[in-house]
Amino acid sequence: MEDFIKQYGFLIIQMTFAAMLGLSMYLPLMAGQLSLASAGFYAIGGYIAAVMSTTVFAVPRGAPFPIEHLLMEMLVAGVVSAILAVIVGVPSLRLRGIYLALATIALVEIVRVVSLNLEITGGAIGIFGIPQPFNDKFSYGYIAFPMLLISAFFAYRLERSRIGRAFVSIREDELAAAAMGVNPTYYKVLSFVMGAVLAGMVGAVSAHFLNTWNSRQGTFDASVLYLAFVIIGGSRTFVGPIMGGLLLTALPEVLRALANTPDLFAAPVAKFLSDGRWIVYGVLIVIGTIFFPQGLITPSLFKWRPLKRWGLGRAKPALKEETA
Amino acid sequence: MSMLEAVRVTRNFGGLCAVNAVSFAVEQGEIFGLIGPNGAGKTTLFNLVTGLTEVSDGVVNFQGARLSGLKPHQIAAKGIARTFQNIRLFANLSALENVMISQHIHTRANVFDSILGTPRMRREEKMVREKAMSLLELVGLADRADDQARNFSYGDQRRLEIARALALEPTMLLLDEPGAGMNTNEKAALSDFIRQIRQQFDLTILLIEHHVPLVMGLCDRIAVLHFGQLIALGVPQDVQRDPAVIEAYLGDT
Repeated sequence: MEDFIKQYGFLIIQMTFAAMLGLSMYLPLMAGQLSLASAGFYAIGGYIAAVMSTTVFAVPRGAPFPIEHLLMEMLVAGVVSAILAVIVGVPSLRLRGIYLALATIALVEIVRVVSLNLEITGGAIGIFGIPQPFNDKFSYGYIAFPMLLISAFFAYRLERSRIGRAFVSIREDELAAAAMGVNPTYYKVLSFVMGAVLAGMVGAVSAHFLNTWNSRQGTFDASVLYLAFVIIGGSRTFVGPIMGGLLLTALPEVLRALANTPDLFAAPVAKFLSDGRWIVYGVLIVIGTIFFPQGLITPSLFKWRPLKRWGLGRAKPALKEETA
Repeated sequence: MSMLEAVRVTRNFGGLCAVNAVSFAVEQGEIFGLIGPNGAGKTTLFNLVTGLTEVSDGVVNFQGARLSGLKPHQIAAKGIARTFQNIRLFANLSALENVMISQHIHTRANVFDSILGTPRMRREEKMVREKAMSLLELVGLADRADDQARNFSYGDQRRLEIARALALEPTMLLLDEPGAGMNTNEKAALSDFIRQIRQQFDLTILLIEHHVPLVMGLCDRIAVLHFGQLIALGVPQDVQRDPAVIEAYLGDT
């Protein structure tokens, strides 16, 4: 067990972050908004933590970084992301579908280019030697696991609330939603802000976790990867992006581990799995989208009878009371 | 004071004048029919009233207050609900969810209530669900509350749309071809149903319909549109005999 954590602790935390980033993409998608901005807010959150922890909250080299300062950085990252999301969201959410995606890619690019050229963000080198609140990487789980649980619970409750219904009605038919009294602009911006806050906070923790932060964090590639989490995992329930994030982050390492298992595969196959694991990864994504166009996790899965018996499925909204 | 009043309402699409200086007033409690040949501008007029399309000129007043310039969700909040000619249900959601969504303006739960599941939010959710179920019962779809809207037959989708519109608790209901695709018997039942909901919910109803017997039997007054212009307005018997209406429908041969 100890060996396992030593070997895969880093990966497990990364999977947790990925799950949350998938969730941050999912929130705007709930309201039908294809936003690729998560990577941008992730980068901003990371820079906020990196700058704060190396300046105002600076600790002597090698000294442990106080966790309350980390939490404060997360708070600042969340608030800044929220404000920025409102400023960016109000004009850009007038765009629909692919045009919104393009506008949010532009945001990601702006963040990248600005951080590459600003002095405070360390230019091309970025910020390194970010102080560590924990002795080993797996201990980041003390922050990452509760964070994932809270954000998953948040999404779970949201889906079953008035706000979540408003989001979904916009996804289904914005015009009809408006005619039924839902203010589309307000709820679109709200969903966008929720996604941004989550991405920003993950970025803040991630900066400490990775020890260094630069403009290669949170680029267009990352945006597309987060989108893959949602598409592969499924975009109709919050479980989808979480599973997508966990699985797709683990997959390359699983392939590598498989290849390194002696006597499991013939030597050429093992070599291909190890060297060509990104090829396998890509092929699996393509196959996944063909055979599971709605993603691996769909709400109908929770209607599966055995699950219901255990009380895990969606409760049937039938009414006992006389309503007529 | 009229419930709904259109004053020289005009809408141009490029060079086409879809609705041309149309004026009429709908009184409280009335069932007001809007008829006319295809392309006469009936649905455009509906869209102008509900704010989905902006007026080029003229004003629409509702209960004495100006509607023109308001956003669709603001107009809905004022108490105007509608159905759509080309059914616009939330197709992937259940019938129950469809009806729950349009109680949006009558509920207050914010993000924190929703996440924390405060007693207020739970009470509200229970109320919303019960109300939705009772409306589904009213339109006879209660046994299919959990089915996705897109799996409903055409007629059931129309009825679900009416239930969804009623969940807004409107004072005025706009029905865009509620009888489309129904046979004569179903249309007769629909007439009774529309009268029933007017009575039960104290509604003023504006409806578009092609089927002449249905319109004649159901509506208190009728307005006839032809190429965007109002060519007749009055009680069904008078409108039926109006030479301009006969010409519009039958041609001037």
